[in-house]
Amino acid sequence: MSIPKEAYQALQSIVGPEWVSDDPAICNADMKGGAGTGIRDIDSVRPVCSIQPRTTEEVQGIVKIANRYGLLYSPTSTFFNADTAPHLKNTILLDLKRMEDFEIHEKDMYVVSQPGVAFSMVQWELFKKGLFTFVPGSGSQCSVVANHIFCGDAPMGWRYGLGYRRILACEWVLPDGEILKLGTKSMIDDYFWGEGPGPDLRGLLRGTKGHSGGLGVVTKLAFKVFPFVPEMPWPVGLGPHATYQLPESRFKIYNCRFPSIKQLADAVYELGKCEIGLVVMHVDPVFGYVARARGRGANVFWEEFTKAKETLDVNQGWLRVVLCGFTSEKQLAYEEKVLVEVVTAHGATAKPARPFDETNLQSADAISANFVGRRFASILYFESLDHCVKVGKENAERKKKYVPPLPDTYGLPGWYVPYDFAHICKEENLNQSDVDDVVTLGELANECRQNDLKMGAYPWAEDPNMFGPAFFGYDRKLKEIKEIFDPCNVSNPPAPIGHGHFTPTKPTE
Amino acid sequence: MQIKKSLANIVGVDNVTDKTGRLKAYAKDHSLALPRMPSYIVEPENAEQVQGIIKVANECKIPVVPCSSGVHFHGNTIPEEGGIILNLQRMNKILKINERDRIVMIEPGVTWGQLQEELEKHDLMALIPLLPHPQKSVLTSHLEREPMLIPKFEYSDALVTTEVIFPSGELFRTGSASVPGFPDKSLSTGVNPEGPGIDWWRLLQGAQGTLGVLTWANVKIEYKPKLNKCFFVPAKSVGDTIEPLYRIQRRMIGQECLLLNNTNLAAILAEKWPADYKNLKEILPPWVLIIVLAGGYRFPEERIEYEEEALREMAADLPFPDLLTSLPVAPGLERELVEMLRKPWPEEETYWRFGYKGSCQDLIFLTVASRVPEFTEAIDSIAAKHGYPIDDIGYYVQPLERARACHFECTFFYNPDEPDEVARIRKIYTEAAKTLIKMEAFFSRPYGEIADMVCEKTTSYTEALKKIKAWLDPNNIMSPGRLCF
Amino acid sequence: MPFKLEDYAIDAAGCPRCSNCKFIEHVWIKSARFARQCPINVMHRFNLYSAHGLMHSALSILDGTLEFTPKLQDALEKCTSCGACDVRCKRNLDLEILAVIETLKARAVEMGKGPALVNKAIADKIAKSNNRYGSPHQNRLKWMTKEIKVADKADVLYFVGCRASYADKEIAQATARILNKAGIDFMVSADEWCCGYPLYSTGQLDAFQKQVKHNLDMLQKSGAKTVILSCAEGYKTWKVDYPKMLDRNTEDMGFRVLHIVELIDELIKDGSFKLKNRLDMKVTYHDPCNLGRLSEPWYHWDGVHKKWGALEPPKIWRRGDKGVYEPPRDILTSIPGIELVEMERMRDNSWCCGAGAGAREAHEDYAMRVASERLEEVKATGAEAVVSCCPACKEILKEAAAKSSEGIKVYDITEIILQAMA
Repeated sequence: MSIPKEAYQALQSIVGPEWVSDDPAICNADMKGGAGTGIRDIDSVRPVCSIQPRTTEEVQGIVKIANRYGLLYSPTSTFFNADTAPHLKNTILLDLKRMEDFEIHEKDMYVVSQPGVAFSMVQWELFKKGLFTFVPGSGSQCSVVANHIFCGDAPMGWRYGLGYRRILACEWVLPDGEILKLGTKSMIDDYFWGEGPGPDLRGLLRGTKGHSGGLGVVTKLAFKVFPFVPEMPWPVGLGPHATYQLPESRFKIYNCRFPSIKQLADAVYELGKCEIGLVVMHVDPVFGYVARARGRGANVFWEEFTKAKETLDVNQGWLRVVLCGFTSEKQLAYEEKVLVEVVTAHGATAKPARPFDETNLQSADAISANFVGRRFASILYFESLDHCVKVGKENAERKKKYVPPLPDTYGLPGWYVPYDFAHICKEENLNQSDVDDVVTLGELANECRQNDLKMGAYPWAEDPNMFGPAFFGYDRKLKEIKEIFDPCNVSNPPAPIGHGHFTPTKPTE
Repeated sequence: MQIKKSLANIVGVDNVTDKTGRLKAYAKDHSLALPRMPSYIVEPENAEQVQGIIKVANECKIPVVPCSSGVHFHGNTIPEEGGIILNLQRMNKILKINERDRIVMIEPGVTWGQLQEELEKHDLMALIPLLPHPQKSVLTSHLEREPMLIPKFEYSDALVTTEVIFPSGELFRTGSASVPGFPDKSLSTGVNPEGPGIDWWRLLQGAQGTLGVLTWANVKIEYKPKLNKCFFVPAKSVGDTIEPLYRIQRRMIGQECLLLNNTNLAAILAEKWPADYKNLKEILPPWVLIIVLAGGYRFPEERIEYEEEALREMAADLPFPDLLTSLPVAPGLERELVEMLRKPWPEEETYWRFGYKGSCQDLIFLTVASRVPEFTEAIDSIAAKHGYPIDDIGYYVQPLERARACHFECTFFYNPDEPDEVARIRKIYTEAAKTLIKMEAFFSRPYGEIADMVCEKTTSYTEALKKIKAWLDPNNIMSPGRLCF
Repeated sequence: MPFKLEDYAIDAAGCPRCSNCKFIEHVWIKSARFARQCPINVMHRFNLYSAHGLMHSALSILDGTLEFTPKLQDALEKCTSCGACDVRCKRNLDLEILAVIETLKARAVEMGKGPALVNKAIADKIAKSNNRYGSPHQNRLKWMTKEIKVADKADVLYFVGCRASYADKEIAQATARILNKAGIDFMVSADEWCCGYPLYSTGQLDAFQKQVKHNLDMLQKSGAKTVILSCAEGYKTWKVDYPKMLDRNTEDMGFRVLHIVELIDELIKDGSFKLKNRLDMKVTYHDPCNLGRLSEPWYHWDGVHKKWGALEPPKIWRRGDKGVYEPPRDILTSIPGIELVEMERMRDNSWCCGAGAGAREAHEDYAMRVASERLEEVKATGAEAVVSCCPACKEILKEAAAKSSEGIKVYDITEIILQAMA
């Protein structure tokens, strides 16, 4: 399917001929995403063209042209998320990578960013100003805008909350081409706050997960950044050994092994009340082996992980704690003391780890998820820690039926990453497969989701069609919202409804 | 009559009235909004009754105005077009305290006093705004997005999940409370506010009762520190407090942190009126930045110790006006203040805002801390122009989320029985609002005429809001005339 | 013919499209300005112009759903095969990203869709005159000056390379004088042919094989056990691509390949070579891709990919962390008066100069933009000069510097060593 000549010329007149192309190879490279590839983009099609705007006005122009000529569009930044792979014919791939400006407001601790900005581009600039941002679990190569409006979780959420908490004002091109400004930007030329005026339309930006461009394109977003310590970490090592060395006067890392997950959970709740720590999480032991094998090859992983089957206790809790003396070195000492007391009281020993980090402050290793298999798909939940522990265990048991073709992870339940000082928690069964078996990941996920309905669990990135009818008909409401704001159905249809995280989407006319 | 009968069938005859005496109480409040009479007051006790009432309202096309506090300050419970006052004060149960996940499930009629007293038994507390009225509903405070006194959490809004009756009469639950069987027959504990589908709780907050009626909500609660130490930074001008404020928050020191001028602080501390108030106003420093250091759950003294050390270090480096552990003019305040700030105003005392003249009008907006001085100057100037004594203006600045932004509140005290005073305050209020909007103050919670001014400026936002309103409330029965609706 | 696209389909399929290939190692990022590492992606931004776009293209070429379109050819021609994407990916995963790109280029040539005409012309010149310039082969040793002493027989062969032989003779002369000064007996060969880098890097593998055979024969006849090069392209070609073509490990080739900096660094450290002349200069060092991240020895592997990423037998992965990074730096800092300042994108994160893999020949404007980007980074350090270890890097950076008005000087390290020699 090719784009009508008039429409193409109109697009060229907006961005310039250099930044739009209908070359088959360019379009071909834009038909598959990253995370969820093989599932969510299993039936993706080539876009009719790829276009790279630079400004909000250019995005607006493109959206209006799409409406005028009956074309669809799907926005992407890094394309790490396969949700935005085009599923329907006549789709323009709106590649936002050229929109890579950002501005740091040091005093009031926020950054205003366009969607082409990756976390890693911002982080060191922030360190220089005594600030830092959260780096998501999906890696610091992700777009800050896309990540905040899609998911935005990472271990530092222990102290700083989830993605939706960190969005301030923003600017948003609606599917009809009109520009909607939220928060302070609606009234003044500033982005420092996100609420209102009146009802907060940030409520439309996302639910448990974002809408993957189903309700338009966010072209500018302000997000919170946080005070850092005066001493900066410094990079050391090359290649797989690259990491940050942390100033020991301000950072300490501990590994604590608990006899049981229950004891770990009890300790985590206690730590929440104590309000200490920067990162507090139960690490999926698989990743401990991945981390050790990084740089040495997958064979090393399989050798060691296979041996571990005899000795790994799936009921054990592996708590990794990063402490930071934000206020002073004495805060660090205080928090260490509290940590040791709490974990000891719950049957664990706090063992100091080396003061290096390449995961939390500048996540360079998140994609290691693919180390074990080449494909991964996560089944996530955000609810209480106790809820997460129960579903994690259930899903780990459920997975055994699918081994093989999925690799055996011995019933390990995945990650438990609590947030907001243990008010809420993430559970992530991070399941891997080989390239040919990726559909099995989808099958496992769908079975887990069916079970969620029976168990009364609250899933993340659920299929609205599956859960909506039981959950007060929100699927219908989501469709209504889509109709209100995207009456011509041009903005990455059928998002945000029509397919869940794990349901392959079939192209329709 | 038919309407009244229908309502009585739902809530019982004792819980619906159209008696003028009762109606008058809802026709006006402590704002400058012009009085308007409702037609009925209905007091349901559960969600089914609320649904029933809303169904009647839809059938009869009669407005419904929900309220759950016994006192109102912003005019947003005064019916613009008559109709039913849906008084939720009877729904006043604390349904469940979940100590482990630190949330509490409450009905809309639960007041701050009720809640904090109950939570204290479990060594817990809710984040609370500045000395709310004893009849103030906790949920109302959260729905209104009132700023809380503790800026150290990044989750400044403690509201998580809710049950809501939409204007259509449909019952819905937000966040992880939407799981079927919640709370008793599901794994969900109701701690995740996100979803399903969109983030509903955001639409409900700030809506001033136009988009739905909450029948319960889960709200975050925190450990109540047992050991506290209060510090005061007195200053001659507000400008002298700004840098200390930024630095204290940036260094992540402290629990409660707020900035008051002498007028407000005097109103809070005065026991005998007017003598105490006048005296305190004169002897209190013009501005006081209050910081409470709270002991941790474990080793409480040590947390206070390191925070205090950092605070003193900072005070030595920076020209803090001063750093005191007590206010000489108010001895003992450092011991009493913390407990005061964690509770509502005592029931038995005249509300601090009414002590001076009987009523007050607040002008509230958000800004960044560095702009606070210029806004106070602008407001002072307008007040002076209209002959309002500058030192009668109460100022309260509440840093939000580590002073990333600030809630700015100025209070004009006036005698509601003096028409001239009322008229003057009205003029000041209108002029100040217009000026502040021009100066780019952000009115995130616009009430009354300010809502009109804001809606005029925020055209794209207003358009989108109207679409949401038309969708959720096709008959426009819920608080019509409010905001841009 | 070894080294086919099909052999690397599984690597292309394993690409998670994370976009790490577009950035330098995240923990080493010091500014947003210099965070990116992929020249084609920085200049063109479309996903096709990136490793992950090329991975997807490779799979589509293999399954017949895509042809070599003008843009795909353009992307392949402009890709300098700098290897940045490869080492970045290997930081976390076991995927041969560069191998996919190189075999995709070769596939384009096989299908008549490459190389760029100018690079085909270079191949013709090499075939005719044994050098990339088409200059008379008999002039290959004309760079030599009288004072340079060359042995008739020695364990060491200095393989000069086309650029230093014909275009930038200063490098050859400096290298030879350094070897003389260091007391290293060395030979040169009149029978030296182009190492074949312009052929290998543009996918002309058949032609490349001829160069490999000839030069190995020449080396064997010479009896040398060590090949010294002053050109990073040649160094990597000899050390990595020659054994690759023969399905052998580097260490099994029967000779050692050294860059002049490796040798001099050894000699300085053992005290037998001293750089005493003071050079008061603030310099920065540009890591050539082929001496840095691409310079690790080649390990032949023809095993089997098992499920979930394991290999049988296990493989030794080349991840770029063991490149020749420190010797040139150590040499520079051993010279009195030299102040070495580092660019942000250094070592395995180095930004390519733009000259590699025929990109400059085929797309001069593009290559100059890439080089100018590097010069911006040089400028940001405050250095007055940039030093490298490759005539190709030197040439393009020098031209880019001449076009800018900043007055930045560009040197090959051999010139600096020469100046510093007592």
